[in-house]
Amino acid sequence: MSPNNETFRYDDDIVKKFSLATVVWGAIAFLVGVIIAFQMADWRLNFNLSWITFSKLRPLHTNAAIFAFAGNAIFAGIYYSTQRVLKARMFSDALSKIHFWGWQLIIVSAAITLPLGITQSKEYAELEWPIDIAITLIWVVFALNLFGTIAKRRERHLYVAVWFYIATIITVAVLHIVNSIEIPVSMWQSYPVYAGVQDALVQWWYGHNAVAFFLTTPFLGLMYYFVPKVINRPVYSYRLSIVHFWSLVFLYIWAGPHHLLYTALPDWAQTVGMVFSVMLWAPSWGGMINGLLTLRGSWHRVRTEPILKFFVVAITFYGMSTFEGPLLSVKSVSSLAHYTDWIIAHVHGGALGWNGFLTFGMLYYLVPKLWRTELHSQKLANAHFWTATIGILVYIIAMWTAGITQGLMWRAIDPTGRLVYPDFVETVLRIAPLFWVRAIGGTLFLTGFLIMIYNLWMTIKNAPASVKEPEYSAPALNAHPEAAGTAMHRRLEGLATPFTVLVLLSILVGSIFELVPTLTAHSYVKENEKAIPYTALELAGRDIYVKEGCYVCHSQMIRTSHWEVLRYGPASTLAESQYDHPFQWGSKRTGPDLARVGSKYPDLWHFRHMIDPRSMNAQSIMPAYPWLAERKTDFGILSKKLSVMKTVGVPYTDDEVANAEASAREQAAKIAEGLKADAGIDKLEERQVIALIAYLQKLGKTVQKEVAQ
Amino acid sequence: MSTRDLDNKPNIILDDEKAILLDHNYDGIEELDNPLPKWWQIIFYGTIIFSVFYVGYYEYGSGPSSQQELETDLAAVKALAPPAPQGADDIVAKIDGLKGDAGAMAAGKAVYDGKCLACHGDKGQGLVGPNLTDKFWIHGDGKAAAVAKVVSEGVADKGMPPWGPVLTPDELAQVSAYVISMRGTNAPGGKEPQGAEVAE
Repeated sequence: MSPNNETFRYDDDIVKKFSLATVVWGAIAFLVGVIIAFQMADWRLNFNLSWITFSKLRPLHTNAAIFAFAGNAIFAGIYYSTQRVLKARMFSDALSKIHFWGWQLIIVSAAITLPLGITQSKEYAELEWPIDIAITLIWVVFALNLFGTIAKRRERHLYVAVWFYIATIITVAVLHIVNSIEIPVSMWQSYPVYAGVQDALVQWWYGHNAVAFFLTTPFLGLMYYFVPKVINRPVYSYRLSIVHFWSLVFLYIWAGPHHLLYTALPDWAQTVGMVFSVMLWAPSWGGMINGLLTLRGSWHRVRTEPILKFFVVAITFYGMSTFEGPLLSVKSVSSLAHYTDWIIAHVHGGALGWNGFLTFGMLYYLVPKLWRTELHSQKLANAHFWTATIGILVYIIAMWTAGITQGLMWRAIDPTGRLVYPDFVETVLRIAPLFWVRAIGGTLFLTGFLIMIYNLWMTIKNAPASVKEPEYSAPALNAHPEAAGTAMHRRLEGLATPFTVLVLLSILVGSIFELVPTLTAHSYVKENEKAIPYTALELAGRDIYVKEGCYVCHSQMIRTSHWEVLRYGPASTLAESQYDHPFQWGSKRTGPDLARVGSKYPDLWHFRHMIDPRSMNAQSIMPAYPWLAERKTDFGILSKKLSVMKTVGVPYTDDEVANAEASAREQAAKIAEGLKADAGIDKLEERQVIALIAYLQKLGKTVQKEVAQ
Repeated sequence: MSTRDLDNKPNIILDDEKAILLDHNYDGIEELDNPLPKWWQIIFYGTIIFSVFYVGYYEYGSGPSSQQELETDLAAVKALAPPAPQGADDIVAKIDGLKGDAGAMAAGKAVYDGKCLACHGDKGQGLVGPNLTDKFWIHGDGKAAAVAKVVSEGVADKGMPPWGPVLTPDELAQVSAYVISMRGTNAPGGKEPQGAEVAE
C-alpha cells in the first residue's frame, strides 16, 4: 500500500433504498398498465368512477413507469456505479437521503394528484406547478451530489458511463425548466406561457428528449457499467463510445418535431425533426454494438446466466426501438402510424424491453451483491425472463397489428373517392380484440415481475443479518498526473467542468435552433385569419376537458392529409390554437379528432353522450363521465383565469376579465335552458357538463376569416 | 486491498484483443480500441448525406410543401367522384319509387337504426333530434327533395350531421323513404311538435 493512499467506504445503503423503491413502484406502474389495458378492452372496467377512469389512470401509468420505476432504477444504478468508477463515496450522505425521500414524495404526490385530475395535460410533464418546483429542487440536489462526487474522485478520467450520467443531469434540468414555465392560477392549476404551436413544439422537444435523456442516456450509462462487470469482458470499442456519445447527445435534441409531422407545425421544423431522427439511427446503434460485441467470445454464458439473458434482450430491444424510431419519423410512415397503437407498441418495446429488462438484469446483479448473498433462485429468474419476454412480444405484436390496421382503415378510400370507413367507431371495433391480446401480454409481463419480487424478497430474507461495508483504498487524484502526449479526448475525460460545459453546448445548439424561431411561430398565422379567444365559460369548459384527460384519447389536429380532410374537415391551422394554453393537439386517437366537433352535434347529444356514450353511439368504448352533471363549475375563479390568460398574451379586455363570472353564468344559463326545453332536465346551469359543452361547441370556430376588402 | 481485487475476477481477453487493450481500468472495467465497424460508418454517413439531400430538395429545391401535397391529393380524390352527382329529380323519383317497397323499407330501417336512432329515437319519436312521426317539419316541406337534402347535407346549426359522405346513394334513398314513411305514425312519448305543419 503506497503511503499517500486514502481509505474510504461506499454508501451502498442509498443503493439499497433506490433498488427497493424501483421494485415497489415498478409493481404499481405495471399493475396500473394492466388495469388500463383491460379498460381499453372493456369500457365497463372504468366503473363510472372518476378517479379510476382510463383518462385519469393513463397519465398515472406513464408517470409511474418513467419517473417512479425507471427513475428509481436509474438512481440505484448511478449511485452504485458512480462511486465505484470514481473511487469515491457519494459527496454527501445527507444529499443522497434528501434526493431519495424527496423523489419518493414527488411520486406519491403524482399518484394522488393525477387521479384527481390535477394535471397540465402535457405528456410526461402533467404534474402541476408546486410539484414542478419540487422536481427542480430535488434534481438540483442530485446534481450537486453527483458533481460533488466527481469533484472528490480518485480516478482522473471519467468512464463513459459517467459521461452519460452528466448528459442526463444537465439535459433533464434544461428540458424540465424550459417546458415548465407556467403561471399559477391557484394552488393546483397553472397555464403555460406557451400556446398552440409554441407549446406543441416545446412540449415535444421536452417529451422526445425525456425519452432520450431519462430513458436512454442514463440506461446506456448503466449498460456500460453493468454489462462488462457481469460478463467480465472489456468494452468493445472505446472509440465507438466517444463517437456515439457525442453524436447521440448532439443529434437527439433536434428530433422532437417528429411527433408533429403533417400537423400545422411549419414545414421547416417538420423537415428538421425528420432528418435528425433519421441521423440518430447510427449513434443509437453505436451503443447497441458496444453492448452486444462486449459479449464477444462469451456468448455461451448467456445460456446459463439469467442476468446476461436480460441484458442481451434489453440491448436487442434498444436496437430494435432505435431503428423503429427513425423509421416512424419518416414523414410517410408517420402519416400512417401517428395517433395509432403502433406508437404504443414502439414505446413499450423501449420501456418494457430496454428499460425494463436492463433494470431487471441490474437488480438480479445488485440485490445479492448489496446484501452479500446469493440469488435465491436462478430457476425463478429464468421463469421471469421467459414470462416477461413472451409478454412483451404478445403486447408489441398485438399493438403493431392494431396500429397498422387502424391506420390503413382511416385512410382507405373507395373508387368513388369516399372513405371506406367513414364511421370512426368501425375502425375501433375492428381492432378491439387486439386490446384483449395486449392486456394478456401485459399481464404476463406483470406476472414475471411478481416472480422477481418473490425471488428478491427471499434473497434478502436469507441474507446475513448485517455485514460491515468493506473498506477500499486508493491514492488521491493528484497522484495521477496526465502523461505527456495523451490524446485530446482522453485529456477531456479528466476535465469534468469543460466536459460538462461541452455537453451543455451540444444540447443547446439544436434547442436554440428549433425553439427560438418557434417562439415567434405565430407570425406564421395567415393575415386574414383572426383567432377568437374563448369566452369565460368556454375556458372553464376547456379546463374541465384538460382535467378529465380528454386529450388522452382525442386529438385536436386535422393533419394535412386528404383522408383527414375528408373525415374531419379542413386541415387545422395555426390560428385555431393560437390562444390554447396549453395546446390540445393530442398524440393518440382512441376516439375521433375533435378539432372541428363544434356544432357537429346538438348540446343534448353531448349531454347524453357524456353521461352515457352508448346512448348516442351503441358501439362506443368511451368511459362514461356522469359526474360532470353533478359537479359544479367554479365560476368564482374565472376572472383570475382570464387575467392569467391575459398575462400570457390572450387579448382579453379589462371588462371581459372583470365580468368573467357574470358572462359565464349568462352563457351557461342559455345552454341549460336549451337542454331543459329539449329534454326537461332541470338545474344544470352550474354543472361542469354545461361548461364542457360550451367548449366543445367552440371547437373549430376559434378563427374568424376576414374577407379581403 | 485495492478496488480491483475485492470482487472482480480478471477480465477475459481474447488473443486477438491483447494488442488493442487500452490501459483504462474503472472498477475492473477495461476497454478495447476496436475501430468503428465499416457497416456502422456506412449507416452513419449515409443518413447524414441523405439528410442533406432531403433538406435541399424540400426546403430549397422543388419539393412540394405539405399544403401543396394536400391540394394535389385532394384534387386526385375529387377526380374519382362519379362525373355528375345525382340530380334532385333523380333522387326524388327514386325515393318516391320506394314507397311501399318492403325490402327497401327494411334496408332503410337498418340504416336508420345504425345512424339516426341515437338522436331521433327507436320509433322516430325524437330525442336529441326532432320527432319524425308527427306532421310538423322544421326544414322544408317534408317532401322527398327536402328530406333527402337534410339527410345528405345535414343542418350545421342544429347539429344534424351530413350523411352524404357516409351513405351510398342507395342507402340515402332508402333511409329517406323510411323517414317519410314514419310521418303521421305519432309514436307514443313523442317529442312535442317543432316547425310548421306540412301537407301530406
